[in-house]
Amino acid sequence: MENNMEIKIKALLENVAVVRVAISTFISSLDITIDDLMDIKTAISEAVTNSIEHGYDGILTEDSKVVVRAYLTSQEEDVIKVEIEDLGVGIEDIELATTPAYTSKPELEHAGMGFTIMETFMDEVFIDSKKDEGTIITLTKRIRKKKSKIV
Amino acid sequence: MRYDYEEGNLSIKLDEELDMNSCKVLRNVIDGYIMRYQPKNFEIDLSDVKFMDSSGIGLLMGRYNLIKLIDGSMVIKNPSNSIKRIIELSNISSQITLRCE
Repeated sequence: MENNMEIKIKALLENVAVVRVAISTFISSLDITIDDLMDIKTAISEAVTNSIEHGYDGILTEDSKVVVRAYLTSQEEDVIKVEIEDLGVGIEDIELATTPAYTSKPELEHAGMGFTIMETFMDEVFIDSKKDEGTIITLTKRIRKKKSKIV
Repeated sequence: MRYDYEEGNLSIKLDEELDMNSCKVLRNVIDGYIMRYQPKNFEIDLSDVKFMDSSGIGLLMGRYNLIKLIDGSMVIKNPSNSIKRIIELSNISSQITLRCE
């Protein structure tokens, strides 16, 4: 089985919940545990929030969008791949940005845990970022199929 | 969100999804109650919170820092499994008591 979807939101924090609902629905057909589902939702929430808070950093134009593309492939295991793309300022220092507890905005009570959560909850995190051009975060999770199934 | 104050104990029960959007509002509201009551014991009840990301950690950490300033203690009550995992990833779990009932 193969399936995919794409959703494009204006870079507003209230739209992060919209992405979470869409992703949950998109993967709900899989034989997936609540824990795995929550892991995926949380990781994507972090990535989309980063795009809005840091990528666009409060400067919004008509083109300030975040695009979320999700791909589902099922063979021996189910694989969920999600790309989160923005056309924002880009990440200047990826190593620094992914350091646990580092945040560029401590005054806003950011915990600096976004990338830590993505890396812990997903199997792969890939960061592709260019200064002043934008960032694409690719998150991958493999769901091992249960051996027996009640039909 | 609901709050309850009695004899030095302030309890806040949250029921929204804790992301950056909701936390931006909640931290001001909660700090208002903390400043008004200056509680000895402060409890945040997460029983009805279905989702939390790292913004929630920021929210809990910020309230803990404020409570510390007024010499109070803080307890986080009934986080779901996935929320507990997020709390345990952060260093707040070594500072704030988690209680499950």
